[in-house]
Amino acid sequence: MPSFATLAEVSGVTRAAVIDLLYRLADDELIIGHRNSEWTGHAPILEADIAFSSMAQDEMGHAQVYYGMLHQLGEAEPDTLAFGRNARQFRCASLVSLPKNDWGFSVLRQFLYDAAETVRLNAYANSSLQPLAHLAVKLRGEEKYHLMHGRSWVLRLGDATPESHRIMQSALDRAYPYALGLFEPTEYDEVLAQTGISPREDDLRRQWESAVAPVLADAGLRIPDAATPVHGGRVGKHPDALKELLDQMQCVYNIDPMAKW
Amino acid sequence: MTSKPPPANRQSTIDNRQPVTVDTQGRVFEVFHQQARGEPHVYVGSVHAPDAEMAILLAKEQYARRQACVNLWVVPAEAIVATPYENDDIFERATDKSYRESWGYKTPKTVRIEDTGGPTHA
Repeated sequence: MPSFATLAEVSGVTRAAVIDLLYRLADDELIIGHRNSEWTGHAPILEADIAFSSMAQDEMGHAQVYYGMLHQLGEAEPDTLAFGRNARQFRCASLVSLPKNDWGFSVLRQFLYDAAETVRLNAYANSSLQPLAHLAVKLRGEEKYHLMHGRSWVLRLGDATPESHRIMQSALDRAYPYALGLFEPTEYDEVLAQTGISPREDDLRRQWESAVAPVLADAGLRIPDAATPVHGGRVGKHPDALKELLDQMQCVYNIDPMAKW
Repeated sequence: MTSKPPPANRQSTIDNRQPVTVDTQGRVFEVFHQQARGEPHVYVGSVHAPDAEMAILLAKEQYARRQACVNLWVVPAEAIVATPYENDDIFERATDKSYRESWGYKTPKTVRIEDTGGPTHA
């Protein structure tokens, strides 16, 4: 099994695979961060507002690090990658593009998403790509908190009242197929697995399913039967909601892309 | 003991810690923050939360976001027993007791103990 001490050591098809992986990771983080930041000033209570906003900043911070790694691999500057690409160029899973909806949907999505991120970071901590392994170890603390937060809300709202149960079950029915889409296999699965950089997406999905199932059961929520994963995000096919989000997120940047901030 | 009226420029409602508006956001937990192991837990403020576990999670972002933290305590506000402000004359010194103000001694801020978050012995 190879080991890559630096990004510069990665070449050929492996390099293309790493670039694709980093775009997926970065875009997921940026878009979930933006979606969750839409709760700033609108969450049910002040404390929840501050916590959710703070975690949204964390996710954007993670995105910035991944974009920085892409820049080291010859891609554009992080700001250009975040604000200068159109929806077709994004590689995020569709789960993160969906509108924030109600609070129940947003905290459920946060739980499903952060459980996936935890599975990924645990796997990447042993990646043969050492910069990714070091980063994974560094990000795990923040992610642990995000998961505790999402889990606590899901457990409480899942069976607090008949109304909260109904809202959470409907959120799960809607979000679950999209959450499975976080693990959309790509053309690079094999090369990433063979080089020890990342496990196959299917393997990560199975770990994620084992992680979320007991929590959802404890919350009194039923995982939808035979949910069909929503794929497409990893090859640039997104719900319209992503274009709307980018139009808003990028509008100031696009007034003058060369402006110095 | 003699009783003294509160200073005219202070609202008695604030002195008595009466909420100005009706609170509809759940229970209140008081938060204590520890900057490093062995240091005392310092009161930093309160959070609304439905229960203690959630209070810890929310307190982490309210109070441990901008400064170092190794441990948080949350305590239900109703568990705190306080002296009423109308009895604050009990703290007044009727005679000179400056001999009690032993500021000249060097005292350690804390006693360092093998600590996993429990109370520190000052």
